[in-house]
Amino acid sequence: MSLMPNSRSVMPFTALVGQEAMKTALVLNAINPGIGGVLIRGQRGTAKSTAVRALARLLPEIDVIVGCRYRCDPEAPASWCDDCRARADAGTPLVVERRRMRVVELPVNASEDRVVGTIDTEAAIKLGERRFEPGLLADANQGILYVDEVNLLDDHIVDVLLDAAAMGWNVVEREGISFSHPSRFILVGTMNPEEGDLRPQLLDRFGLCVDVTGLRDLDERVRIMERDSQRSWDGAGLESQFLDSEDHLKAVIQEAKRLLPRVQITPTIGWFIALVCIDAGALGHRADIVVSGAARTVRAWDEAERTVRARAAGVAAEPDDRLVVTTADATTAAELALAHRRRNRQDGVSQPGGAAAERSRERLEEIAQEAEAAVVSEQTSESGAEPPDDSGSGEEGESPGQVQGSEQATQAVTRRSAEQLFEGEIFPVRKIALPRDRRSRSTTGKRSSSRSSDKRGRYVRATQTEKTTDIAFDATMRAAAPHQVRRRADQPADHVGPALHLERQDLRQKVRHRRTGTLIVFVVDASASMDAEQRMQATKGAVLSLLRDAYLRRDKVSLVVFSGRAARVVLQPTSSVDLAEQRLQRLTVGGTTPLTHGLVAGLRIVRTERLRDPTVYPLMVLISDGRGNISLFGEEPLVEAQRVAEQLGADGVHMLVIDSARDHTTRPMPRVGSHNRPPLFGGYGFNACRDLADRAGGEYLGLYDLSQGAIVEGVEKTLRGRMAQ
Amino acid sequence: MTVMQTGRNVFPFTAIVGQDLMKQALILNAINPAIGGVLIRGEKGTAKSTAVRSLTKLLPGLDVVADCRYGCPPDDADLQCSECTVRVESGETLPRSRRQMRVVELPINASEDRVVGAIDIEAAIKRGEKEFEPGVLAEANRNILYVDEVNLLDDHIVDVLLDAAAMGQNTVEREGVSVSHPSRFILVGTMNPEEGELRPQLLDRFGLCVDVEGIRDVRQRVEIVERREAFEEDPTAFAARFEPAEKAEADRIARAMSMLSDVVVVRNILVAIAALSIELEVDGHRADIVTRKAAQALAAHEDRAAVGLDDVEHVAPMVLAHRVKPGLSGSRRGLTDLAEILRTAHDGDGSLEN
Repeated sequence: MSLMPNSRSVMPFTALVGQEAMKTALVLNAINPGIGGVLIRGQRGTAKSTAVRALARLLPEIDVIVGCRYRCDPEAPASWCDDCRARADAGTPLVVERRRMRVVELPVNASEDRVVGTIDTEAAIKLGERRFEPGLLADANQGILYVDEVNLLDDHIVDVLLDAAAMGWNVVEREGISFSHPSRFILVGTMNPEEGDLRPQLLDRFGLCVDVTGLRDLDERVRIMERDSQRSWDGAGLESQFLDSEDHLKAVIQEAKRLLPRVQITPTIGWFIALVCIDAGALGHRADIVVSGAARTVRAWDEAERTVRARAAGVAAEPDDRLVVTTADATTAAELALAHRRRNRQDGVSQPGGAAAERSRERLEEIAQEAEAAVVSEQTSESGAEPPDDSGSGEEGESPGQVQGSEQATQAVTRRSAEQLFEGEIFPVRKIALPRDRRSRSTTGKRSSSRSSDKRGRYVRATQTEKTTDIAFDATMRAAAPHQVRRRADQPADHVGPALHLERQDLRQKVRHRRTGTLIVFVVDASASMDAEQRMQATKGAVLSLLRDAYLRRDKVSLVVFSGRAARVVLQPTSSVDLAEQRLQRLTVGGTTPLTHGLVAGLRIVRTERLRDPTVYPLMVLISDGRGNISLFGEEPLVEAQRVAEQLGADGVHMLVIDSARDHTTRPMPRVGSHNRPPLFGGYGFNACRDLADRAGGEYLGLYDLSQGAIVEGVEKTLRGRMAQ
Repeated sequence: MTVMQTGRNVFPFTAIVGQDLMKQALILNAINPAIGGVLIRGEKGTAKSTAVRSLTKLLPGLDVVADCRYGCPPDDADLQCSECTVRVESGETLPRSRRQMRVVELPINASEDRVVGAIDIEAAIKRGEKEFEPGVLAEANRNILYVDEVNLLDDHIVDVLLDAAAMGQNTVEREGVSVSHPSRFILVGTMNPEEGELRPQLLDRFGLCVDVEGIRDVRQRVEIVERREAFEEDPTAFAARFEPAEKAEADRIARAMSMLSDVVVVRNILVAIAALSIELEVDGHRADIVTRKAAQALAAHEDRAAVGLDDVEHVAPMVLAHRVKPGLSGSRRGLTDLAEILRTAHDGDGSLEN
């Protein structure tokens, strides 16, 4: 088990400069685990991991049952492990002790057996006992489970994690072990959005989400360097310098935990929270619940801060029995809880700070007023009735006034968000999602044994096969473990041999996951005709948006440009999008249209890349008007292009033809000719691009469609065809 | 995993002609390993691996716990593995020995279990015990980890490599073993950019980056060939010829290491460094921190008591080469404006408004 180092020179939490939102979110979770964790998104090098690791030392103490390896909570019998329950049933008094909450780290390359737990092989082999060996989900019970680079976590680990998080319980059925134990943990993840997205289900599991960026303030940056320098030369000095503030924060967290049950939410705040969530377009009700929980925690923290300070000054301080959440608390909570739940986000990354934050603050103020008005109208209509006292009153019996108030407020909010939605459509976000290739994950059994030479890739799981060529020793050992006693008994008494008795049926094969990369070859027409109507501009836009997506998927891209009398390979296959963007920016247009040259150059790239990696999935995106006018083999240019297109199809290159002539100046053309073999020159209506696409067995789109998001479907459809293979 | 041969017949570091930036980047990392390694970009046959191998000869020996498989330092409890910690706590005096720093090479086809370590199959079959068999990351602890063609490594291997490099420890939760051990090393990677790039996230984890190319100067090229021939003919005599230079450089590095923590970095220098990162729109704060460390190491190497703006100006391109994004609009300032940005910020009135 990898607990975070507690003693090594860790940067003290309070010594971290700036990044207040991140620190707030972490502390709120330490006070109230019910908030449900936090996701920290941000650029590289912004102290994300450092902050989480530093938090480990500030975590409060919790009550646990002595001797329980899952650290069961004595207050929650419903979530006791079998062991504790059995002890309680037997009438054994459960002793309680205070233990510090801990941070358990889940490395990105962790294997499933270590996450969920498995059979204790040593006990099985040596003692012949079938015991459960707890994994990280057991260690994390009543603690924090921290995943660095959470977006890079393998899907099957994510599934396990989601299961456990949803049920608060880890159920293990594997290798002859049938076991379940409580696993209630706070999920904390850090990620760099540039490296890929998070699955929506996993994203929603995180109670809060903060986006961090590098600080722009000179003074703060200087302080960061100074602190880092101090840590490396005089770690102990830095720690003692911050000892007081660390102790203070620790005390505040503990105190806030104590005060939390006293904090209540007034109806006005309840309204406010509901309206804010509606306004953000948050799906489901988790948002409301998280915001309320976080808002209460903010209040508890605030009060705790005051009492701890007062006590330090020698004043006995005890806050009221009933603490009330303010609009400011709820606003703070909403900002942290809604960042990843907002619909209509631009490009997945919201930029903190700046004008957007300013606007959203104003918006929150408006909502606060609306909530106020709604509740006031409720109260006046009930004239004489008691002022609403507890947080639940909003839901009970609806008087006419209440309905009126609620409708007004809700209408105002929904109207506003409808306007926002409309604004969003004016600036289309061209997000093109290429579906992920799952084919490689299923390479098991015979198929992979036929490729036994290729033992590369990441070992993700083990499976049983007829012929084991790439043995997964750990899984084999676990499979053999339950049978050790019987097998040993079968041996003659004086037999001396290895401790582990293996049989053929124990053998397990490694399932390796190696991303079969996609190679996207852009073949771009840079002839004079592309100058018209800013076609090149649109083309660049299209290619750029495809490039960004290619990076997230770790696809390789290549760029071929043709104009004049030749095609140029501007960019050999690379995974560097920066490089591709750079080259793309420098494109200029002019000259004739050597279409065939371009297609042949593209085909050559695909063939070369196939030599390097036979599993590569090639996709060619041709952007042209399809009117080639330069011959490569001495034939009619159009006929040549058609031949190459057919060759591309025969080579298994998937083709997407984007017709640059079909831009916003032209209406979509009716389809001409039969589907299979259109006439060579069908006269005026002949569509050269669609013809090329048909011959290559690919997709056809107009540049016109780009602005309508149809290209998204186009690329997806093209790639989905491959899944069916 | 192969431990590179660092025996007698190593081409002396000081005999390498040219490639000053690369040599300097390596030395800076040797002086302060916290700089975070070097990425060397460039063509084949530019003395990259020769330089790395011969560097170890210039470094002072390491005190290690004689029988620790991670080569823990006997005196620094903070950096010891859990096994050594347990031994110290049980009152044992750790056996000491002294050895040279090594170069551990990571082959391009290394599998993940060889890199991070895996279950010891022999112990499992013979005794039914679950033991951890350390991998390359364990071997690399307190040594130099050399990865040729780092851009051709599988993504997931690079991930674990850089994770370990950043954390200084390797955490294994796979194949039935659960271990965490120290893994602090100087990471030296080489790559040929024409064969594919590294992901920016990974690039950022390399402290410094230098571009090398073949030397164009004819006289120097001749010199290279002559030295190489002399070396191959009689390595001992060749080594003897460079012995004084080697000794001088080794002393210089040792002195730099001992004075490093006393080299002063005044506030204005830090302001200039921060301004540079802001102006060039570098992500995060790692660049600032690395620049400071590298400048400090450079000043120590040149036996100066304080970091000057020249030091920053000298190391900044190495720190920023792989971190500055290519400007899209062209309006953004680039590395060419480096000196100007630094001077403006440094000579400012000291106020922190930018």
